[in-house]
Amino acid sequence: MSFLIAESLDDALAAIAAGARPIAGGTDLVVGARHGKEALPDELVAIDRIDQLAEIGPGPGGIRIGALVTHATLMTDPLVVAEFTALADAAALVGSPSTRHVGTLGGNVMNASPAMDTGAPLMVLGAVADLQSVGGSRSVPLDELWTGPGTTSAQADELLIGVTLSSAPQRSGSAYVRLEYRRAMEIAVVGAAAAVTLGDDGTIAAAEVALSAVAPTVLLVEGVGDALVGRDPESAASAAAGLAGEQASPISDLRASDSYRRHCVGVMAKRAVVAAARRAAGEDIAVPVNRSIGIGAA
Amino acid sequence: MAITESPRFVRADGPDKVTGSGRYTADMNLTGQLVAKFRYADVASARITRLDVSAAKAMPGVFAVITDEDVPDVHYGSPVPDRTLFARDAVRYEGEVVAAVAAVDAATAQSAVDAIVVEYEALPIVADLEASMAEGSPLVHERWETYDVGDGTEQRPNVASFSSIEKGDVQAGLDQADHVVTSRYEADGTHAIPIEPRAVIAQWEGDKVTIWTSSQVPFDARNGVCETLQLSANRVRVIVPHLGGGFGGKCGFHFEAHVAALARATRRPVKLVFSRREEFLAPDRRRESMIIDITTGVRNDGTITARTGWVAVENGAYTADSAFFPQLSAMHVAGPYAIANVFIESSLVYTNHQPSGSVRAPTAPQACWASESHNDEVARAIGMDPVEFRRRNLVDEGIEGPSGQVYGDIGVRRCLEAAVEAAGYGDDLPADEAIGVAVGWWPSFPGPSGAYIKLDGDGSGQIITGAQECGTGSVMTLRQLAADELGMDAEDFQLVYQDTSAAPYDTGATGSQTLLNNGRAVVESAKEIAEQLRELAADQLEAAAADIVLAGGNAHVAGSPDKSVSIPELAGIAAGGELLIGKGSGTPPEYPSASATCVGDQGMAGWAGPQFSCHAIRIRLDRETGVVRVLDVFAAHDSGTIINPVGARGQVEGGIMMGIGQALTEGTRYGDDGRQQNPALLEYKLQTAADVPTIHTTFIEVPDPNAGPRGAKGVAEAPNVPTAAAIANAITKLIGRPVRQLPMTAERVWTTSNTGSEQGGES
Ligand SMILES: Cc1cc2nc3c(=O)[nH]c(=O)nc-3n(C[C@H](O)[C@H](O)[C@H](O)COP(=O)(O)OP(=O)(O)OC[C@H]3O[C@@H](n4cnc5c(N)ncnc54)[C@H](O)[C@@H]3O)c2cc1C
Repeated sequence: MSFLIAESLDDALAAIAAGARPIAGGTDLVVGARHGKEALPDELVAIDRIDQLAEIGPGPGGIRIGALVTHATLMTDPLVVAEFTALADAAALVGSPSTRHVGTLGGNVMNASPAMDTGAPLMVLGAVADLQSVGGSRSVPLDELWTGPGTTSAQADELLIGVTLSSAPQRSGSAYVRLEYRRAMEIAVVGAAAAVTLGDDGTIAAAEVALSAVAPTVLLVEGVGDALVGRDPESAASAAAGLAGEQASPISDLRASDSYRRHCVGVMAKRAVVAAARRAAGEDIAVPVNRSIGIGAA
Repeated sequence: MAITESPRFVRADGPDKVTGSGRYTADMNLTGQLVAKFRYADVASARITRLDVSAAKAMPGVFAVITDEDVPDVHYGSPVPDRTLFARDAVRYEGEVVAAVAAVDAATAQSAVDAIVVEYEALPIVADLEASMAEGSPLVHERWETYDVGDGTEQRPNVASFSSIEKGDVQAGLDQADHVVTSRYEADGTHAIPIEPRAVIAQWEGDKVTIWTSSQVPFDARNGVCETLQLSANRVRVIVPHLGGGFGGKCGFHFEAHVAALARATRRPVKLVFSRREEFLAPDRRRESMIIDITTGVRNDGTITARTGWVAVENGAYTADSAFFPQLSAMHVAGPYAIANVFIESSLVYTNHQPSGSVRAPTAPQACWASESHNDEVARAIGMDPVEFRRRNLVDEGIEGPSGQVYGDIGVRRCLEAAVEAAGYGDDLPADEAIGVAVGWWPSFPGPSGAYIKLDGDGSGQIITGAQECGTGSVMTLRQLAADELGMDAEDFQLVYQDTSAAPYDTGATGSQTLLNNGRAVVESAKEIAEQLRELAADQLEAAAADIVLAGGNAHVAGSPDKSVSIPELAGIAAGGELLIGKGSGTPPEYPSASATCVGDQGMAGWAGPQFSCHAIRIRLDRETGVVRVLDVFAAHDSGTIINPVGARGQVEGGIMMGIGQALTEGTRYGDDGRQQNPALLEYKLQTAADVPTIHTTFIEVPDPNAGPRGAKGVAEAPNVPTAAAIANAITKLIGRPVRQLPMTAERVWTTSNTGSEQGGES
């Protein structure tokens, strides 16, 4: 087994081109190995010291959030909280304070669990994944990145260097809500993110909704724009709930039955749309939404 | 009502534990030590057709592989001798130990475990409590008829023990009723989940073995080793380093003998450390699942005229310390109510699941959840407020309870009033909030216990006690008792404890009994030294010994505080002559009598030092998802005199958090294969620090003359009793009908509120 600590992006890219697996916070990779999910890879390259991947700021094509940005940063960074609030909502729910300080956005995205919390927010915010290898770089929309539970379309020698998002339009807001049975160390039973832009008359001008833990990958709900545009937020939220319930294909497991999941994902979608619309209208709902409305509110 | 606010609490093990300098069993290593690992059954029910350890034995680095053939032929278990150390012929639950390996390191030991060949012929899996008791059910133990425990009850297949409480004439009582309400409740099993998974190290010197183990009951552990390896008590020394919690999961005798047998076979020290998964699957201590049927006859004025109950308590594959569970569960199905006509029968039922054992207040949280939910149903049936309904029926001083015991001065009614008053019961609440109320009770457990105290020449003291500290602080409180008796400071004493060869017997950290019994022993020991000090001081101060007062670290003549001599000075004198040594045990409080007829009396019908409690709990329900959030818990407890308020409060808060977990998020799930589906902390959901509600605790201090020092009763288990019940009653208020399964998970709450499916009801 080999373990290399990359000092630079080039170091890291060379190592993974030679077959090493990147490790960022290790909260998926190492914990999973201990639980017998998948043995630790023989060759690892630690990327956590590549400071340039831990930045948030303007990049080519929008705002770049580096792959090494931790959940603890995402949930408090003023730019993220102001413009990509759903992402901050999601990061604030991850694990415990220690998980959030160690776990990274890049690890969450590349681990590709359908129950991941940052996925649905990134999806509704139209984020693209920025991949780089020794051979070059490319950007991939997220619904093309995630191909199944734990699998991505990235090549083995590609590193996620960050995600790029467009600045939020005027009178827009976003929110992420998840069903949780306790207030820490939880995994999404189901979750939903919404991004909403309001017209001058207060009705929905544009909207997207995405769901976690109800399909093999994070699911962008289809037809949301058509169904919601022109409605007032309350009725738009009900419409979103209906679409979410219809398009979800949840499983039954220890955490919930499929029928309960299908019902609850509609509830989450409704709440996400309502919260996003309120934020779009200028209301300040603290991050995470889960602590302000509905489940587990303080 | 006395509300204790004094912060006095001396905790000698605190700095060690907080700074990390304290040593737990897993932290210890001995020279030449080997690593132990077990081969488990991994199937719930099967006959062993082949067991071949030769390949494992032949592996380099493997020092021993042992099975049933390598240990004495002993069926152990009291009172039901249904177990052997290693599986013999058959396996009856997935965590049963088939073989044990000692090897040079963990990886080698694991490879050897994997190399053991075991072949099985599958046997039917007994999993359902009712099916297990039905005629013709497959048997968990074929030789059940040889397990006669001699209590006079008729033995039945798949029933390890049986008990009933019978009083008055229930049919006559039901005939007098205006309404008869019948309910069924079902509780899933749960786990103790101590933060420290268990560890055992054994080392032989000649024909004596020393065992370091994370046990709550070192003397039980020692006795188990003596019984199974056939050794006398003075050849087995059990030492418990700091213990990382137990909650009952570490009561009893577990793997000490397996490790000692490996150490003997290899002539090396051997160490076993469990993973969290093993901690879930292997020990014979988890909280039992239950089915509870209750019927109550009630008059329109609220009087209960009769109660009948049928209870099935899950024993699992073997009988740990669970033989008394039937009668204890029956007492909780009855509850602390003055009921004239009672007929409750309860059976401890074998299944092919992990064995049950004394987890914090065994049987009580589930049975109290059922009976207190049922009591709210009864109150609803007659249109009476549930608190008022309880006021009409609770026991009190001079009143006969359901088992025929007549109580002395008790605080149960004051507990009810204190909790509902603090909670603002009856005030308006938001539409998604409600307050549920439940009353609980729990016995104290008198028993033998011993301690020594010595004062050395410098006047510093040591308490050498058989008591075991499992994190509650009860052993720590012993210093205060000794200090008060001797007019010294708690800080003047060190504790020597958790060593079966150094100290006299104590039952251990079980049954909330430490302060009750060992407190008595320590006070008795201190009295002997106080006597010696008075004699010495009398000589020095030229006064009568009877006039000497011990206070403030000095001995002085009563009425003349300046005529004094310091205790260190007296100790210095004693060091040159007759040494200052005290010993104590004392006579345990008596078990009161109970007039009810009990078939299979398990000693649980008459309670010494009965403790009472009431929890009024405010919750918020997310109606669309069924998620319940506990906002405030108003807890009032009569545990007698509270000697250590900070420690007692900690017990109440911890018990409530365990109760909330049981109520809402925990619960073991079994697959059709009879195996646990959630033996991990991600899927078995404990409450976290982020979920803790505001807990408001009131102690109703009613000293009990037939209990512990200064009238103290136990306090560790009682807080776990009524929490789930109070939460249940709050949920029912919000959704209109009870959730009849425990835990009341979000999905169960949501399903109950939306489908209206309800069993039982009024007839
Ligand atoms: C106790 C606990 C609670 C948790 N709670 C949650 C939760 O509530 N919600 C949630 O979504 N997740 C949760 N997680 C999962 C995990 O913490 C997150 O997914 C986290 O964001 C992973 O980041 P990491 O840096 O630790 O990933 P790592 O474990 O380092 O990596 C994960 C995977 O991504 C790959 N990888 C990492 N970085 C890159 C990169 N830049 N480019 C390419 N591949 C990369 C690795 O090779 C690996 O396959 C929890 C984990 C734990 C242990």
